[in-house]
Amino acid sequence: MDTMLSAFGNMIKSFSDWVTIIFDAPSSRAIVLGVPIRGHLLVEGLLFVVILFLLSQKSYKPPKRPLTKKEVDELCDEWVPEPLIPAITEEMKYEPPVLESAAGPHTIINGKDVLNFTSANYLGLLGHEKLQDSCTKSLEKYGVGSCGPRGFYGTIDVHLDCEARIAKFLGTYDSILYSYGLSTLFSTIPAFCKKGDLVVVDEGVHWGIQNGLHLSRSTIVYFKHNDMKSLQSILENVTHDNKRAKKLRRYIIVEAVYQNSGQITPLDDIIRLKEKYRFRVILDESNSIGVLGSTGRGLTEHYKVPIEKVDIVTAAMGHALATEGGFCTGSARVIDHQRLSSSGYVFSASLPPYLASAAITAIDVLEENPNLITKLKANIATLRKGLSDVQGLELVSDPESPVVFLTLKKSAGSMKADLQVLDDIADNLLKEHSVFVATSKRSTVDKCKLPAGIRFYVSAAHTETDLEKACESLKKATALILAGQ
Amino acid sequence: MANLYVQAVPTTDLNRNTEWFTYPGVWTIYILILMFSWLVFVSVFGCSAGMAWTVVHLAHSIVTYHFFHWKKGTPFSDDQGIYNRLTWWEQIENGKQLTRNRKFLTLVPIVLYLIASHTTDYQHPMLFFNTLAVFILVVAKFPNMHKVRIFGINADQ
Repeated sequence: MDTMLSAFGNMIKSFSDWVTIIFDAPSSRAIVLGVPIRGHLLVEGLLFVVILFLLSQKSYKPPKRPLTKKEVDELCDEWVPEPLIPAITEEMKYEPPVLESAAGPHTIINGKDVLNFTSANYLGLLGHEKLQDSCTKSLEKYGVGSCGPRGFYGTIDVHLDCEARIAKFLGTYDSILYSYGLSTLFSTIPAFCKKGDLVVVDEGVHWGIQNGLHLSRSTIVYFKHNDMKSLQSILENVTHDNKRAKKLRRYIIVEAVYQNSGQITPLDDIIRLKEKYRFRVILDESNSIGVLGSTGRGLTEHYKVPIEKVDIVTAAMGHALATEGGFCTGSARVIDHQRLSSSGYVFSASLPPYLASAAITAIDVLEENPNLITKLKANIATLRKGLSDVQGLELVSDPESPVVFLTLKKSAGSMKADLQVLDDIADNLLKEHSVFVATSKRSTVDKCKLPAGIRFYVSAAHTETDLEKACESLKKATALILAGQ
Repeated sequence: MANLYVQAVPTTDLNRNTEWFTYPGVWTIYILILMFSWLVFVSVFGCSAGMAWTVVHLAHSIVTYHFFHWKKGTPFSDDQGIYNRLTWWEQIENGKQLTRNRKFLTLVPIVLYLIASHTTDYQHPMLFFNTLAVFILVVAKFPNMHKVRIFGINADQ
């Protein structure tokens, strides 16, 4: 034992002697970077070896590790295939009524003439003689399709005319046409709102806006439906403590007339808030162009706000203008930016020319006949008066809104139960009274949480008797269904 | 007349966040920036040479740790978020390991460490901080640490 310990001691001694000899070697007295290398030699030599070792390594791409047979078996055992189609539920068996004629104020369902309140044909321009004439002429001249995206052989003179006509009508610098009303917002919102941008949105916006926001990958903050106090507190919160917010692009997105509730956005308050907190406003005027304001120029005219104060205005032309497609209008910079960076404009085929010429004609008709708007307003007032005292239902839409929206006074407990009651009422209206109305049935991807309701799209083409009949029928149907509960 | 132009092959890196590191002259600039910052510390703040190297090394460690090994994703939106879970270090050269650029980036902290500890004559406490910094940076750069988040550090929620 003693001999082993002394042998070990000798070894250590001889090693330290060896180290001393190395340190005393002439090279170890060298001075590098102003400090003598004495005593560092071991550490530095070691690191140097490490460096050499690193440099000698071959580069490689990390392989994807193949799964072992056991892992493959486990995965296969665990896997439960999802059904290709979801289980059929009772709601899915519901067969919607099928229109057998054009969706005018009266339409044919199951061979029966019914009163139609489901088409947003606010001015009754659907099937208007002048619009049909211009469509036919355009068809004869250009054919149906436009054969390409706008930037790629798809631009036809009527597109440019239509853009200029819309801009002139609304008093903006320029506008840009999209091929489909709903997809206008899918393209416009992601063209401006990018990842990391801050967007403050009303919680009741329709699915087009929701999807546009989803595609934009911005940071989304919702405020309470049409509640300016909530909007203000959110703007205050997001800008106050957040120094970064000043460097972000910031937007407020609202609808002029909410499709999901018939409420009208208080634009004057929004402009005040936007200017105070320095946000940009994107306004969807789909349900207000041709409806609000004394000459149908939309929400800005209704509130007497200059349209330049709203940064970006979008609208679908499938509603009051009785054609299809959508547009965005605003300053030159807003429009020019979209011509190269809005996906719907750059990558999809342009609007069929006859729809563009129909839109031009629709605006002409609207300007020539301001009485259409007066008639629509009168119709809205008549319908609202008739519907104000329906037992069990409550009018929640704005008095000026062409979307007349009724919700249940006493909720049945859940959104689904509410919708069932409302569907029963709508069903009864259609079958017994030949009045066709829509409930606010929403798609499964729609995140809107507003209460369900029955929606009347009022049109200037509805007659006094139509409206009276609708009111009487709704009262009867509601009384019947709610009593049966 | 000497050849004033660099013969360079066009980059094959499609990731806009990392392709700049494949440009010619990046290494030179990188080294020059380090040298220049050392000069600034020595001349402006009047540190000793060793202290200045230590400061340069630690600052370099903090900056590169944050930008190479901590922040994930890219500032560009046109890559559809495929790099959202990867740090810059994991994105360069599309994840190929031990490439020339990676070796260079690994050598920088080691050499800085060597210089910094040598010029401070292996004195405490500079030695401790220098060693800690170089240890973290070098471990983070190991090929074995590719897409590995030890102890869930900087892991995805």
